[in-house]
Amino acid sequence: MTTQGKTTVAVLLTVGFALTACRVEGDGSEASQDGGGVQTDVGVTSDPCPEAVNADNGCIYLGTISDLTEGPFAPLAVPIVAAQEAFWQRVNEQGGIGGYDIDVTTNVRDNKYNPEVHNQAYQEIKGEVLALAQTLGSPTTAAILDDMKASDVVAAPAAWTSAYEFEDVILESGTNYCFEAMNSVDWAVREFDAQTVMAVHYPGDYGGDAAAGVDAAAQALGVEYAGVETGQGTTNQGTAIQAILTQQPDVVFVTTGPGDAAAIIGQTAAGGFRGTFVGTSPTWNPALLESPAAPALKAAYFQSGPWAPFGGDTPGHEAMREALGDVTPSDGHTAGWIWSYPMKAALEAAVDNGDLTRAGLLEAVKGLETVDYEGMLPEAAGNYAGEPGEAAFRQSVISKVDEAAPTGVSVVEDLFASEAAEAHEFSGPCF
Amino acid sequence: MSELVEVVVRGLGTGSVYALLALGFVVIYRATRVISFAQPAFMVAGAAAVSYLSVEIGYVLAVPVAVLIGAGLALAVERTTIRPMIGKPVFVIAIITLGVDVVVRVFVNALIGADVRQLGDPWGLETVALLGVAVQQRFVASFVVTGLVVAALFAFLRLTRYGLAMRAVALDQEASMAQGVSVGKVFALSWALAGGLAAVAGAFVGTGSGIDQTTYIVAFAALPAIILGGIDSIGGAVVGGLGVGLVQSLVAAYQPDVAPWLGSNFQVVTPYLLMLAVLLVRPYGLFGTPEVERV
Amino acid sequence: MTTTLPTSRETPRTAGVMPTRRRSRSLRGRPGMFTSYAQELRLFNTRPKRIWVRLIILGALFIPLAVTDEWLRLLAVGYVAAIGAIGLNLVTGYAGQVTLGHAFFIGVGAYTAAVISGDPNGSTLGLGITFLPIWVLAAGVVAGLCGLLVAPLAVRLRGLYLAVVTLGLVFLGEHIFKTWDAVTGGPGVGRPAAVPSLFGYELDQDGPVFSAMQQMYLLMLTLLVIFAVLARNLVRSKVGRAFAAVRDRDIAAEIMGVGLTKHKALAFVVSSFYAGCAGALLYTVTGFFDPGSFNLLLSVQFIAMVLIGGVATISGSIMGALFITLLPRLVQELPSLLPAVSSSPTEFPNVFQVESLLYGLLIIGFLIFEPRGLFGIWIRIRSYWKAWPFTY
Repeated sequence: MTTQGKTTVAVLLTVGFALTACRVEGDGSEASQDGGGVQTDVGVTSDPCPEAVNADNGCIYLGTISDLTEGPFAPLAVPIVAAQEAFWQRVNEQGGIGGYDIDVTTNVRDNKYNPEVHNQAYQEIKGEVLALAQTLGSPTTAAILDDMKASDVVAAPAAWTSAYEFEDVILESGTNYCFEAMNSVDWAVREFDAQTVMAVHYPGDYGGDAAAGVDAAAQALGVEYAGVETGQGTTNQGTAIQAILTQQPDVVFVTTGPGDAAAIIGQTAAGGFRGTFVGTSPTWNPALLESPAAPALKAAYFQSGPWAPFGGDTPGHEAMREALGDVTPSDGHTAGWIWSYPMKAALEAAVDNGDLTRAGLLEAVKGLETVDYEGMLPEAAGNYAGEPGEAAFRQSVISKVDEAAPTGVSVVEDLFASEAAEAHEFSGPCF
Repeated sequence: MSELVEVVVRGLGTGSVYALLALGFVVIYRATRVISFAQPAFMVAGAAAVSYLSVEIGYVLAVPVAVLIGAGLALAVERTTIRPMIGKPVFVIAIITLGVDVVVRVFVNALIGADVRQLGDPWGLETVALLGVAVQQRFVASFVVTGLVVAALFAFLRLTRYGLAMRAVALDQEASMAQGVSVGKVFALSWALAGGLAAVAGAFVGTGSGIDQTTYIVAFAALPAIILGGIDSIGGAVVGGLGVGLVQSLVAAYQPDVAPWLGSNFQVVTPYLLMLAVLLVRPYGLFGTPEVERV
Repeated sequence: MTTTLPTSRETPRTAGVMPTRRRSRSLRGRPGMFTSYAQELRLFNTRPKRIWVRLIILGALFIPLAVTDEWLRLLAVGYVAAIGAIGLNLVTGYAGQVTLGHAFFIGVGAYTAAVISGDPNGSTLGLGITFLPIWVLAAGVVAGLCGLLVAPLAVRLRGLYLAVVTLGLVFLGEHIFKTWDAVTGGPGVGRPAAVPSLFGYELDQDGPVFSAMQQMYLLMLTLLVIFAVLARNLVRSKVGRAFAAVRDRDIAAEIMGVGLTKHKALAFVVSSFYAGCAGALLYTVTGFFDPGSFNLLLSVQFIAMVLIGGVATISGSIMGALFITLLPRLVQELPSLLPAVSSSPTEFPNVFQVESLLYGLLIIGFLIFEPRGLFGIWIRIRSYWKAWPFTY
C-alpha cells in the first residue's frame, strides 16, 4: 500500500473511533443505584420530572400510546389520557411513590389505532420509559407484545382481551371481553327470551374475543348464533346492516367503535329492525345521544361494561370526579382512572422490594394478589399472581341509556357473573 | 321489489352528492385543464361550516352561508396557489391541489375534533312513503336539491354573460382572450363555483351519521364519476355521479348474497371497476371530447 | 497551480471522430469540461463528482458509529423509501407517465416478501425462506409482473386519465389486502414483516459487533447504492433516452422509431420492480405492518419525495426520500423551540397538526418556488460556487 493509502486508512480509523464516543453517550440505560438503595435502570432518574410537583423527588417515566387523532376510539382515548394524567397528578400531590414523582405527559404518542403506527411509536419511546401507563387497543398491543416480553416492559392496556390474563407483562383491570359477552348473553336471554343472537364485531383481538364469548355462551344456553365481521368507518357498515335486516336476530351484540355502532343501530332501526342491541363497553360514547340514531339508541340499546360508569357511587369514583374537576364526563375517564390502580400498586411493591428496574417491576407485578381500587372494583380483581383459570375476574355490569346520567348510561344490573362465565374453563384465550 | 325501490332511492341520494362533487371537478377542469384534488377538503369544510352554523341559525339558513364560505375558501386558494402557476405543467398544478387538500384538512379536522359532529339537518333517519315503500327522507331531499342546483348551473351557463364567458374559455382560451373575455376572472369564478358545489355536497354527506375526520374519503368516489362521464362534460358529470351512486348502492345490497367471496364493502371499489370498464370501450368517457394531440 | 494544455486532444485529426478507447484526461481547474463523448457518458464524469460521491458514501458508512439507534432506524427507512422514490422517478420523472398507484406495488412487494419469509406456524401465511436476496428479488419480480399487467392500460391512457386510473388501482389493492386476511392478517390486525437473514445470520437481532439497527442501516445503505447505480445506468443508456423522448413528445417519439408501447410498459415494469423491492424492505425495520397502510396517502408521500427531491434525477429522489422520512421526527422537536405548539393532541396547534400542515405547505411551496426541488437548490448552490467570485 502506498504511503498516501496508509495515511488515509489511519485517518479513517481515528475518525471512526472518535465518532463512536458520540453514540455511546446517547444511550441512557445503564443500571444504577440511587441514594435510597433502590436499583433502577431504564426510565427512572434521580433528577426531578419536568414540571414536578415535588422538586426533590426523582422521576419515573411512564409511556402512553393511544388513539389520539384518527382512529375509531379517539373520542374515548382523549378522556382516558386526561384521567390518567389526573390520577398520577394526585399520586404526586400525595408525595409520589418511594421518593419519585411519576411522569405520564412527556412520552405520549398517537397510534391512530393502527398496529404498525403503534409499533413505531413504541420503538420511539422504548428507551425512555420504565413501563407503559397505557397502550390502547388489543390488536395494536398484540403487535408489540413480543418485544415487550423480551424487554420486560410492563404495560397497562386500554383493552380487555382475554389473552391478557395469560401474559405476565400485561396489567389488565376488569373482566375481559369474552366474559363480558358471556354475561351479556346470559342477561339478554333472561330478559328478552332471545332465541337467536348475532355478534357484529371488528376483526382481531377486540371484536373477535367478544364474538367468541357470545358464541360460547350461545352454545351453553342453546340459542342460535351468527357472527358478522365489519370494518372501521361509518360508511363501511353496509354489510353488517344488511345482515341484521336480512337475518333479524332477537339480540345483536355490537363490538365496534361508537360512531360505527351508531351507524349500524340507526340505519337498521330506519330499516325497520325492532330487536335489541347490547354494546361492549368501548362501543358507547355519550355524544351519540345527539346523533340521529338517538331515538333508536334510547329505545333498544344496552351497554355492558367491566365496572360502574362515571356517575358511580364509590370512594374511587368520588376521588376521580374531584380530581378531574369540570370536564365533559366520559367513560373514558372512568377507564383511565381505574387502569392506573394496579400500576400504582406494582410500583409501590417494587419500591418496597428495593428493585425499580424493569425486571424488578415485573417481579412485583407477578407477586400482586390484591389491588386497592378504592371500591371501584373488588380487591380480588387485582390478582396477578394466581393461575388465570382461578384468578381471572369474571363479573361485569349492564347499563341502560339514561339521558340524566353524566355519561348517558346508568346501571341496571351491577357486577355479576353469569353461570356460563363461571362454568367456562379458562385454560386459554377465547380468541 | 320494495327493497329495490329503497336501494334505488339510496343510490340516487348518495349519487347526488357524487354528482355535485363531480360537477365541481369538471367546472375547474373545463376552465383550467387541471383536476383539483382539493375538492374533498372543500366538501368537509362546507360540512363543518354547516355543523357549526346550524346550531346558531338552523340548517336551512346554514347551507347557503356555508356555500358562500366554501366559495370564498376556494377563491382564496385559487388566488394564492393556482394563479402563480398559470402556464406550468398540468401535473404539477394537480399535485399542488393535493397539497392544498392536506393543508385545508388540517384546519377543518381541528374544527371537527375527535368526536362525530352532527349537521342538525331536519331529516335525520326518518322515512317517507314513496310508491308504497318507506325510503329515507334525506336521500329524496338530496336528490331534489341536487336537481335544482344542476338546473341553476345549466341556466347560468346558458343564459348569463359570465356563463357564456366560461363556455368560451372551456372551448378555446386564446380565442376567448382575443375576444376580450377576462380569463383570470373565469378561473376565479370556476374555483368559487366548485367550492360552493362541494359545500352543498358536504351539507348532504353528513346527514344521518354526522361527519368526522375520515368523511373526506367519500369524495374520492367522485373521481371515477368524472372519468366515466367524460372529464370535460357537465352533463357527463351528473350522469356519472348518479350512475356511480346507483351502482354502489346495488352492489352494497346484493353482493353479500350473490358473491360474498368478493369481500365486505366491495362497493367502495366498484366505482373504479366501473370506470375501467367504461374506459375500455370509450377511452374518453361517455360524453367526453377526444383529445387532439399535435406534435 | 498552472493549467497544462492538453497535448494531442485538440488536433483536427481526432475532432469529429467516433469516441475512441483512449483515456481522456480531465483538465485541472476545468472540471466541467468533457474532452470526449465517452467521458461524458461515464457514471461519474467529473472529478468533483467522483470525490464527492466517495466522501458521501464514506460518511454514510461512518454514521452508524456516531448516531443513536433511533436515528439509524429513521435513516434506514429513509434509504428504503429512496429506493421506492427512484422507481417512481423512473416512471414519472424520466418517462413522464403520471402514476398515483405506487402504493399498490409497494404493498404487493411487501406481502410477497412477508409470505416468503414468514413463520410457517404463525397465524398468517408464511413459507419460512428468510434468505434475504431470495425474498427481495421475488418481491420485485412479483410486483414487476403486476406492473406488466397494468401496462396495457397505461399505454392507452395519458395524463390525468392515467393518474385517476392508477388511483383506482390503489383502492382496488387496498380492498384486496383488507379482504385477503390469510396473507395480511386483516385490517386493524396486521402481520409481521419479512425477516432478513443472510447465510443464517439474522440481521434484525443484535449481533456480536453491531447492534440490530446498525446492521439494518448498513444493509439498507448497501442495497440503496446498488439500486441507485443500476437506475443511473438505465437512465444513461438507450432506454433512458427513449424514456425522455416519450416524456417530452410521445407522438414525435413514435414517429422517430421509439416504440411507445414497449417503452411505457418497460417504465412501468421497472418502476414496479423497484417499488416491490422497497416494499419488501420497508417494514423489516419496524417488523410489523397493517394492510391499511397501502393507501392514497402512501402514494402521495412518494410523489412528494419525487417532486420535492427533484423530478428526473436519481440523487434528487434520494434527497427527497430522506427529507420526507426525517420530517416527522424533526417536527417532534418543535414544541421545545416554539412553546406555542403543544405535544398534546387535545390542544390546537399541536405537533401532529403542524406535521401535516408542514407536509402540505412544503409540497405547495416547492412546486411554486423551486419546481426542480432539492436537486434544483443544489444546482443553484453549485452554479454559484462554480462561477464564484464572478457570480453575477
